[in-house]
Amino acid sequence: MTRNGPVALIFHTLVVIFMLAPLAIVCLVAFTPENTLSLPTKGFSLRWFQAVFHHPDFVQSFWNSLWLAVLSATLAVALAVPASLAITRWEFPGRGFLNALFLSPLIIPHLVLGVAMLRLFAVVGATGSFGWLVAAHMVIVTPYVMRLLIAAISGFDRSVEQAAFSLGASEATVFRRVTLPMILPGVTGGWLIAFINSFDELTMSIFITSPSTVTLPVRMYMYATESIDPMMAAVSALIIGITAVAVLLLDRVYGLDRILVGQH
Amino acid sequence: MSFLELKNITKRYGPLTAVGDVSLSVEKGEFVSLLGPSGCGKTTTLQMIAGFVEPSAGTIRLDGRDITRAKANSRGLGIVFQSYALFPHMTVFDNVSFGLEMQRVPKGERKPRVEEALSLVHLSPYAKRYPRELSGGQRQRVALARALVIRPPVLLLDEPLSNLDAKLREAMQFELREIQRKVGTTTVMVTHDQAEAFSISDRVVVMEAGRITQIDQPYRIYEHPETEFISRFVGKTNLLPGKVATATGAGATVSLAGIAVPVENAGLSVGETVTLCIRPEKLHLTAPSNGLLTGRVADRFFLGSQWLYHIDGPLGTIMVVTPNDGSTPAEQGAPVGLEWSPSVVRVHRGAMAEAPDVALEVTG
Repeated sequence: MTRNGPVALIFHTLVVIFMLAPLAIVCLVAFTPENTLSLPTKGFSLRWFQAVFHHPDFVQSFWNSLWLAVLSATLAVALAVPASLAITRWEFPGRGFLNALFLSPLIIPHLVLGVAMLRLFAVVGATGSFGWLVAAHMVIVTPYVMRLLIAAISGFDRSVEQAAFSLGASEATVFRRVTLPMILPGVTGGWLIAFINSFDELTMSIFITSPSTVTLPVRMYMYATESIDPMMAAVSALIIGITAVAVLLLDRVYGLDRILVGQH
Repeated sequence: MSFLELKNITKRYGPLTAVGDVSLSVEKGEFVSLLGPSGCGKTTTLQMIAGFVEPSAGTIRLDGRDITRAKANSRGLGIVFQSYALFPHMTVFDNVSFGLEMQRVPKGERKPRVEEALSLVHLSPYAKRYPRELSGGQRQRVALARALVIRPPVLLLDEPLSNLDAKLREAMQFELREIQRKVGTTTVMVTHDQAEAFSISDRVVVMEAGRITQIDQPYRIYEHPETEFISRFVGKTNLLPGKVATATGAGATVSLAGIAVPVENAGLSVGETVTLCIRPEKLHLTAPSNGLLTGRVADRFFLGSQWLYHIDGPLGTIMVVTPNDGSTPAEQGAPVGLEWSPSVVRVHRGAMAEAPDVALEVTG
């Protein structure tokens, strides 16, 4: 491992500051007692956090987003595990096409997807349906899960499965007791990234949410176009807090290096 | 009928024949090694015995039962993989216990059997560790214990020692043999390392380009290689092309670049093209005037217990290995004589093949 020189060190510090400073400031501003996004702030107050919880539409949107993200991430993983196993391990006609198809949402702008989904929903009469919203989010998050899973499965020593077979395990048992536990870091990492992407998604969701299914980012966007007050900062601070706790938990349980970089 | 019998086993991948017409009988309790360079089909053969690869033709019988098409998980064989293939998310104990669990051995019975297997490979104190916390040699033992605990009729070893460093490899060789003797399991090992195959096997099967070229005891293979390929692949050897000059009764002479070399007659006819094969340690250095050949020491290498000489002479460079008996070795550039007894010369019929790369790759 090479050590960083002073110039590189300064550069890295600046990059980190540039990335973290806005988040830190948003969190600070959230505690202001004033009516504007002001910094430095004169005092400390939780009034804007209280305000969030007095906006039932925000609370509703939060739950919408949470369910949406949990469902779409879970379904995407359930779809991606067998798909990645098939694509990585077997030669079959259409394998390359299938791989490209699963990864294609990555390169299609969400704006385009949003318009397309809007039309689709209108055609199938699904406007306002939460189930279809989940399906649309699955399209967006599946590629991320696939990428991580394919990486995890490619580095997999097949002889471990053969060993389990030779010891008398059935194919289902081998999958449950050996394959799945061994790709679990990839599965968990994929789920996490899918969750975050879905929870965060704005561009496509603007087109396809209905008043009853408005997600948190869409709600925030709508609110922010009308007025900017510290309540936005409070919502943001809450999201940052929840995310940080989730990531910390994950790091404790599995280690982020293993999940996101694929190191064992 | 032998315990494990392969009959005309063939595996084709499209136009490529990976294993062609391999027949092999292994007796109960025997330790047999499949030896050959990479790509010779030895691993494919092992995988067919294991049930991971289905033969294109031929039959495999185990204890009289046809297992050619049986699934790998119904054969009950113990397999040690080159990568050890331990379950990384399970402790050593759970790794070893897995096979018993699959055989639905009751929990109370599993524990003593796992402990017995671990003590066999001297790993009892490590039962609670995870594979990543073990050294290469220890992982290898876990793999062995895991394979043996199910009391398999046949133990299959796929290059079991190739991932260990030289010192450990040698120690593990002997230990492997000791354990195999103790449990008496019929064993088939695949290896490209002839020293490994020779030191611990009852019989060695030499494979070349998907076919078996010789099956014999290690000593016999070394002393009586049936093909030139084997004499090159197994240990170091001097190959000398010549023509049969005379052949009378038990003796014959072969003319090598004008020099007549006595050999044992094995139905040779005068004028036949042959290749002589002489192991370097069968040659002796003498005074220049005494030997069958004279030459000059071109190079010498000290190997600790032995000296390896390269002798330049009328037949090109000849390798000679002499034991280091403590006396002063021949100097570089010194003229020396070479002598040997006719009985150590192996005669292969036909001209020398052009493929000395194998001999360079594998040294004894």
